[in-house]
Amino acid sequence: MVDKNLKRYECPYCGETFASFEELKKDIIANHKGRSLPVSEGMIRLNVNNSEHRFHVEPNETLYEIIHNKLGLTGSKQFCDRGACGSCTVIMNGLPVLSCMILAVECDGSKIETVEGIAASGHPLIESYVEHHAMQCGYCTPGFVVTAKSLLDKNLNPTVQDIKNALAGNLCRCGTYPQHPLAILDSVRKLQADKKSKGEV
Amino acid sequence: MRPFKHFNAYSLEEAVSLLDRYGERACIIAGGTDLLGKMKDMILPSYPEALVNIKSIPGMESIRMEEDVLRIGSLTKLSAIAENPIIREKYTALAQAASRTASPNLRNMGTIGGNICQDIRCWYYRAPSNRFSCLRKGGGRCYAIKGDNRYHSIFGGSVKGGCFAVHPSDTAPALIALNAKVVTSKRTYEAENFFNVGLHSTTVLESNEIVVELQLPKPSNGAKSAFVDYTQRKSIDFPIVNCAVMMVFSNTKMIDARICLNAVHVVPYRPKKAELALIGHTYSDRLVEEAGEIVVAEAKPLDNNKYMVQIAKTLAKRAIQACREAAVE
Repeated sequence: MVDKNLKRYECPYCGETFASFEELKKDIIANHKGRSLPVSEGMIRLNVNNSEHRFHVEPNETLYEIIHNKLGLTGSKQFCDRGACGSCTVIMNGLPVLSCMILAVECDGSKIETVEGIAASGHPLIESYVEHHAMQCGYCTPGFVVTAKSLLDKNLNPTVQDIKNALAGNLCRCGTYPQHPLAILDSVRKLQADKKSKGEV
Repeated sequence: MRPFKHFNAYSLEEAVSLLDRYGERACIIAGGTDLLGKMKDMILPSYPEALVNIKSIPGMESIRMEEDVLRIGSLTKLSAIAENPIIREKYTALAQAASRTASPNLRNMGTIGGNICQDIRCWYYRAPSNRFSCLRKGGGRCYAIKGDNRYHSIFGGSVKGGCFAVHPSDTAPALIALNAKVVTSKRTYEAENFFNVGLHSTTVLESNEIVVELQLPKPSNGAKSAFVDYTQRKSIDFPIVNCAVMMVFSNTKMIDARICLNAVHVVPYRPKKAELALIGHTYSDRLVEEAGEIVVAEAKPLDNNKYMVQIAKTLAKRAIQACREAAVE
């Protein structure tokens, strides 16, 4: 965590130093009109799974750390921490992204959907993943589910190749790859049947 | 990650003033997929004191086709470029290059500006915790010369005594082949002159200069472009070699040709002699074969990367052939 002594509350525009963040804020508002405030003591607003949250974040905290450690949503997993494996995937503003490679201070006002939200909404993907046992140890599975959900949001009739392309950035050391298209196609059938029964098609 | 200061800039002027103030001690962050990895691995002896986020600057994430120029904001996501119908049709090589970069979820984060400004790849340079104090980091030597250099430059070092690292960008060769211009907060560069063979930087950008926009001229009639790459796996991997080509055909005659390879040198490599061998001639398989030979004529591979010469030659030929196939259709 951040060593509090390191903070100098230095004005980025004139270089003057202040004893507290509040004083620095006052100075920027008074002397540097229109300039944005530094987010060293950043407060961010996040909409996670349709509920509003506010967090104090340090600049070096990632979105993953906020979701997992502060919010306690342990579905998304940290594995490589370098943006290479896809275990930490969440849907941010409609796009699947890797939460370990996003700084939380840059997410103010974002809408986040995690695997918990997908499960709570009763999405058939969860059921299909269980039925087809598209997992072994299960560590990577939330990342796969989130990526698959965002694919189905965009394309309700994907081909096997579409699914493979969409999941290309998610790695599974257990090698469950063949099961994922089966589970997702099964979920597609359920979603389409659901739509039909509601008379939308 | 170690503590650092972070600023969300809300205008270009603000970002520049922050960079003016911090100089070399600050880094610009956009997608962050390269920078955060570097910071987490602590590959550099120094650590940025401040990050200036430019994603918060409005109006830099757009693709606009104007009369004779396509303008792409530097914050445009690679996925948006890969899916854009205009780019797919008229600037095929760029769409293909963007769609081959990293993984789908990383393409939703990474920006085109960041893709051309990303740091070089070399496993000695990128080793965690600054394990190899190499030439680039102020150390005495380039470890790739005597070490394992299977993914290093085949066109020589960037400076006297070494640095055989390669520039890994997929979109950079496509932009050069498509004759793009890079507009920064200070001036406009030809994409080709944007990259720098220096020891401590990969671009000509000054420490307070920000890439704002990419401008691609409207392709002339009969112009076709293609991008091909060779990677170990189908996704995520950086290219071992990639190649982008733009050709202008008038029936079977080749009026113009621009070839650019990347991941073979510390900057994108444009074999102009091979281009000259094609321009003004009638397309034939023999000529393509010859051009492929010329592309790698000046190659000086190291001990472990001779195979890359063969790949570079083949990819250049395949890209030219792909342009021809697109023109015939």
